[in-house]
Amino acid sequence: MLSVSCLSALLLHTLERRMADAGNKESAPIGGDEFTNTELENNKNNTMVEEGSTLLRRMEISVAEAEKRTGKNTVNMQEIFTVYLIETRPIDAITEGHNPAPDSLWRRYSEFEILRNYLLVTYPFIVVPPLPEKRAEFVWHKLSADNMDPDFVERRRVGLENFLLRVASHSVLSNDKILYHFLTEEHRWKEVVYETGFQAKADSRIKALSATFRVKNPDKRFTEMKHYSDELQSLTSQLLRVRARVADRLYGVYKVHGNYGRVFSEWSALEKEMGDGLQSAGHHMDAYAASVDDMLEEEEHYADQLKEYLFYAEALRAVCRKHELTQYELETASSDLISKKQQREELATGMVRTFSFKGMTNKLFGQETPEQREAKLSLLEEQIVQGEETVTEKTVECEEYVKGAWVDMQRFKEQKDRDLREALIGYAVMQISMCKKGIQVWTNAKECFHKM
Amino acid sequence: MSACTPKSLASSGQKPIQEMCHPLGAEEAVLTPSPDVRNITSSIGEKDQILPNGTPVETSSPSSSSSLLNRLQLDDDLDGETRDLFVTVDDPKKHVSTMETYITYRVVTKTTRVEFDLPEYTVRRRYQDFDWLRTKLEDSQPTHLIPPLPEKFVMKGVVDRFSEEFVETRRKALDKFLKRVADHPVLSFNEHLNSFLSAKDLNKRQGLALLSKMGESVKYVTGGYKLRGRPVEFSAMGDYLDMFTQKLGTIDRIAQRIIKEQSEYQVELREYGPVYTTWALSEAELQGPLEGVASCMANCSSALDELTQDMSEDFLPVLREYVLYIESMKIVLKKRDNIQAEYEAKLEAAAFRKEEKASCTQVPTDVEKCHDRVECCNADLKSDWDRWQNNKRQDFRQLLTGMADHNIQYYEKCLAAWESVIPLLRDKQPQETETEED
Repeated sequence: MLSVSCLSALLLHTLERRMADAGNKESAPIGGDEFTNTELENNKNNTMVEEGSTLLRRMEISVAEAEKRTGKNTVNMQEIFTVYLIETRPIDAITEGHNPAPDSLWRRYSEFEILRNYLLVTYPFIVVPPLPEKRAEFVWHKLSADNMDPDFVERRRVGLENFLLRVASHSVLSNDKILYHFLTEEHRWKEVVYETGFQAKADSRIKALSATFRVKNPDKRFTEMKHYSDELQSLTSQLLRVRARVADRLYGVYKVHGNYGRVFSEWSALEKEMGDGLQSAGHHMDAYAASVDDMLEEEEHYADQLKEYLFYAEALRAVCRKHELTQYELETASSDLISKKQQREELATGMVRTFSFKGMTNKLFGQETPEQREAKLSLLEEQIVQGEETVTEKTVECEEYVKGAWVDMQRFKEQKDRDLREALIGYAVMQISMCKKGIQVWTNAKECFHKM
Repeated sequence: MSACTPKSLASSGQKPIQEMCHPLGAEEAVLTPSPDVRNITSSIGEKDQILPNGTPVETSSPSSSSSLLNRLQLDDDLDGETRDLFVTVDDPKKHVSTMETYITYRVVTKTTRVEFDLPEYTVRRRYQDFDWLRTKLEDSQPTHLIPPLPEKFVMKGVVDRFSEEFVETRRKALDKFLKRVADHPVLSFNEHLNSFLSAKDLNKRQGLALLSKMGESVKYVTGGYKLRGRPVEFSAMGDYLDMFTQKLGTIDRIAQRIIKEQSEYQVELREYGPVYTTWALSEAELQGPLEGVASCMANCSSALDELTQDMSEDFLPVLREYVLYIESMKIVLKKRDNIQAEYEAKLEAAAFRKEEKASCTQVPTDVEKCHDRVECCNADLKSDWDRWQNNKRQDFRQLLTGMADHNIQYYEKCLAAWESVIPLLRDKQPQETETEED
């Protein structure tokens, strides 16, 4: 059930969205100027400042570093884990030219997870940004699947920063107090977040699943969106799998060329005039073989962008499921009310409309006394009054949820279109760079062959 | 790895020969292949265009203009000699008769040499005829290096003798063989070469040829004489050839491995592109960009196909043919060894007899003849070796430059594809209300 504060947040969100659409536009960071620089920058940061955002306008946030720590885990065993340094600076100070040192604190990945779970429960109508993956998946053979691998840690640092920037620029999420504490209070934060009792508010899986099957009249747009989220998830995961295999094969092609380097070198020792040309060409072949490592590491960034939307698909589906749940609860409350009203009618008129076990036993074992009937009737009346309140509440809840969720899903859709377009451009730019390097190396080698 | 099934040649009778311009009359146009100078024939299956100096221009794959220049300049560099004999092998045709089916090649000769009656000849020859010529050359010039022919026998089930690829590879090798012979200062004046190039029908006398081939070669290669002291320079040649063969073998294996890896890469790439197409179906705004990326990948895929095919057809066969060339050279070295051994044996025998008959002061004539033969052989071999080294250098320069060119072309095609997709990716729909990029 949505809390009052959430409902007001919902309304605020809808309002701000409408304001934004009405023309309160600011120029987005993607300026129109130089394609390569700004688009690549945005591609790296992978975020857009939302119109109407608050926290990110007031505060500069970054995940600056990662470090290894040792400590005791929950079963009192030694473990090594990584902590990430979150740095924040008030923007006013920067624009005023003060340049103060940033405030900072260290957080583990698990704390980010707690924050996200809190946000999921507290703002079920929002497509909550995902965290970077917990374990390395879709790995092509050269990359290690080891969580301690420095490249993996670095990519995770970037992913965590991205998560914070997205959350802090979201018109609803950025106002959350717990988020603010996460960024500013190192030690007491966990207690504070648990005090909210968000874990108890989480919907049980069984409840959510049964709602999906039993709901009768969900909003068609949500059903479509859920279907889309399934496709998005399946397609991005397929793409990631094949991409990893492609990277593997490409690696093989480049590395085998390194053998030319060796054999040309050996051969050049046999030759007089041809020797120099062969030797130099061999060096170029070595360079060619070595170049693939950096290129594929860079391509991991593209994979990370796809992964983000793989996980986003899940968040989108969660929003649709929550709608099904609220709709189902409304339908249940409505049908309960109807059945209660029918029971009242039966009691009042003595006519049995529907079969009931009670009715049968009454028939078999004799009717109740008028006092009993009275008692039952007044109980029913109470329940009906309550039921009507419940139905009204649930109707409002459902309507508000649909409104708020629809707005955020639209926002998500636009963000997704922007981000994936940027990702594809970045990918094309990478391919172009790879082709140019290939041309360069082979042209160099050709010159050497020419001198043979 | 070829994406298409090997094509067979159209079988037909002889076609009329088109007029060709005299090579010496068109020298200025050598560096710029203008249409009126190029020799374009109407035969089916011919991919080569021929320049006035007799070298074919490989246009089977779109070569950059710089590689074209390379080929032209290479031949102009050859020893700086004025060349007066130009030969070309082209226009393969299938002949079907009741007894057999075989391929003939057109051999075109242009020359100013007095040994030839006419300045131009065009004849049709089959592989057998080339083989006959080579045997004849080996027999009549035993001390010289005769260039090798492409492999004679092909496994019937494994290779299609009439596929376009096979025939083209063979044609190139036959062309190379004939050019090497024509460039040789001694071999090119051989009477058998003259017949081969000019005679209407080769009077081959097959039976005798076979016997004599067996006789001469065996005598020189498997001579029973033991060699005492081989001059250092010839030992060095032998060592070089052994090591060089090894390197070539390694390069062959590497090239094959690369082709294999590229094929496997291709398999994955062919699955990769279509996923983008499938995804495009679920999207609205992103449909264009995703489809653009998919088609880009399809282009890169076909460019890779071409690269692999080029390497299989242009690179590997030439590499392998060089191994045959080395084998020929080794045989010549062996022959030389045997001639020297024979001389040494005769000399020893003569010295022994001299001891017995004290009156003999002169060296017997047959020993002298042997000595002459040794000297002659050594001289021929040295000059052939130098020529061979020079050819090797040019051939490998051309081969490796070709390899570089194929790779450059591949990357240029991919670059063009990706660059053309960028504006498509950046272009947003007119309904977009977000801030737009320039």
